[in-house]
Amino acid sequence: MGLRSSISILLISLILVSCWGYYNRTDDDGFVSGPRVLGFRPVYAAENIAKTILYTATPKAVVNPGNIYAYQNYILQIDAGTGIHVIDNTVPSAANRIGFITVRGCSQVSVKDNKLYTNSYDDLVVIDCANLNNVHEYSRLKGVFTEYRYESPLAQPPASGYYQCPYMIVL
Amino acid sequence: MRLLKSLYFIVCTIGLFSCEKNSDSNAASNTGVGGSLTKFTISGNHIYAVSSHYIYAINISDPAHPVRVGQSALNFDMETIYAYRNRLFIGSKTGLYIYSIDTASSPRLIGEAKHGRSCDPVIANDSVSYSTLKGSTFCGPATSGLYVYDVKNLNLPLLKTTIPINEPLGLGMVDSALYVCSAGEGLKVYSIKNAYEPVIRQTISGYAFTDLIPYNNILICWVGDGIALYDISSRLQPVFIKHILN
Repeated sequence: MGLRSSISILLISLILVSCWGYYNRTDDDGFVSGPRVLGFRPVYAAENIAKTILYTATPKAVVNPGNIYAYQNYILQIDAGTGIHVIDNTVPSAANRIGFITVRGCSQVSVKDNKLYTNSYDDLVVIDCANLNNVHEYSRLKGVFTEYRYESPLAQPPASGYYQCPYMIVL
Repeated sequence: MRLLKSLYFIVCTIGLFSCEKNSDSNAASNTGVGGSLTKFTISGNHIYAVSSHYIYAINISDPAHPVRVGQSALNFDMETIYAYRNRLFIGSKTGLYIYSIDTASSPRLIGEAKHGRSCDPVIANDSVSYSTLKGSTFCGPATSGLYVYDVKNLNLPLLKTTIPINEPLGLGMVDSALYVCSAGEGLKVYSIKNAYEPVIRQTISGYAFTDLIPYNNILICWVGDGIALYDISSRLQPVFIKHILN
C-alpha cells in the first residue's frame, strides 16, 4: 500500500511536472496544451447505482475476461469491473452463456451453499443464487477489502482506487 | 429504534450460537472450485482473500452477516491463494508462502520459499506444490517455468526441480495429471506419477490458455477469446469438447 501509493504519487507528480515545460503554450480554446500521456480517469457514480446487483437472464459479450469458477453445473467468469458471466455447463458439449450478474467493481468470486461471494470495489457482497429467477443481493460487508480494486490478474494498475483502464488524455 | 437494535442484536447472537453447534455439518456443505489465479478462496466457514499486502479472513457461517475476523498486513506482493486442508498456499511476487489455518480466524505463516521476482500462481497437496513463475517486465526477472516444491515439511519447502516454460500462467492437477497454461506454447499436460519429476505428455495448442479448473471429468479453460472445455476422463489425454466465444 505505502510503496505503491508513494510510487503513484511520484508518477502523478511527474505527469503534472511534465506540464510545466509547456506552460506558455495554449491551444485555440486557451487551454494549456502539451504532449499526449497515459493517465487514469476517475469513475464517478452515485453509490446506490454503482453498487446495484442485478441479474439479467441473457448472455452478454465478454469485455474484460477475468477469473473462472466452477459450481455445480455452472461456470462463472468475472468480467473485470462490471460483473459475472453465468455459463450453463449441464451438458458440456452444449455449454453456453445464459446470463450476467451486474456487480460493478468486481474481480473475484467464490460460491458456497448457493451463496455467491464477490467484491464490489472494496465491499464483500453476498448474492443469493439459489433460484436463478430471483438472484439478489443477500448481504454486504462494506469497505472490508481496504486494498481492492477491480482487476484481472493480467492487468495491474499502479495504484488502488476506482479507476478505468489506462486512458489517453491531453494535458 | 433502540428496541429494534437490541432485538436485532439478540437475533444475530442466536444466529451465531446456532452456527456454533452446527459447525460439524460443514462436511455436507457445497463449495465450488476456483481457478489458480484467484485471490478468493473458501475453506470451511471462512473466506480467505489476498490483496497485494493483506490477507483477510472473513467468517461466513452466517452468510447474512459476514464478519471480518482477521486482516494481517504483510509485504509480500501477494497474487494468488490456494486452500488445501488446513493450509493456505499464497503465491506472491517474491515467493511461496504457506499459512496454517488451524485457527481459522487468524492465518499464521509457517513456511516460505523465496524466489526471484515474478508472478506466481500455486497449487498443492500433502507432499508437493507446483508454482508457475512468469518473469516479465510487470512481474520481475525470474526464469519463467514450472517450479516443483517438496512440502512434506511445511516449514521448509524444498525446491525439487524447475521446468522452463514460455510465459506460464494458471495450472491445475487431478490424480496423476498436471495441466499448465502457457501463453506461448499452449496447454501443457504432464504426468505426475512421480510428483517431483513431471513428465511432459503433450502440448495442446490453438488457444491462448490463461487459467484452468479440473472439475470432475471436465477441464474448464479460460482462453484468450473465451472458454474451452476438454473431457479429461482419460487424465493425460484431454479431448476437446466445446469452445464458448467471448
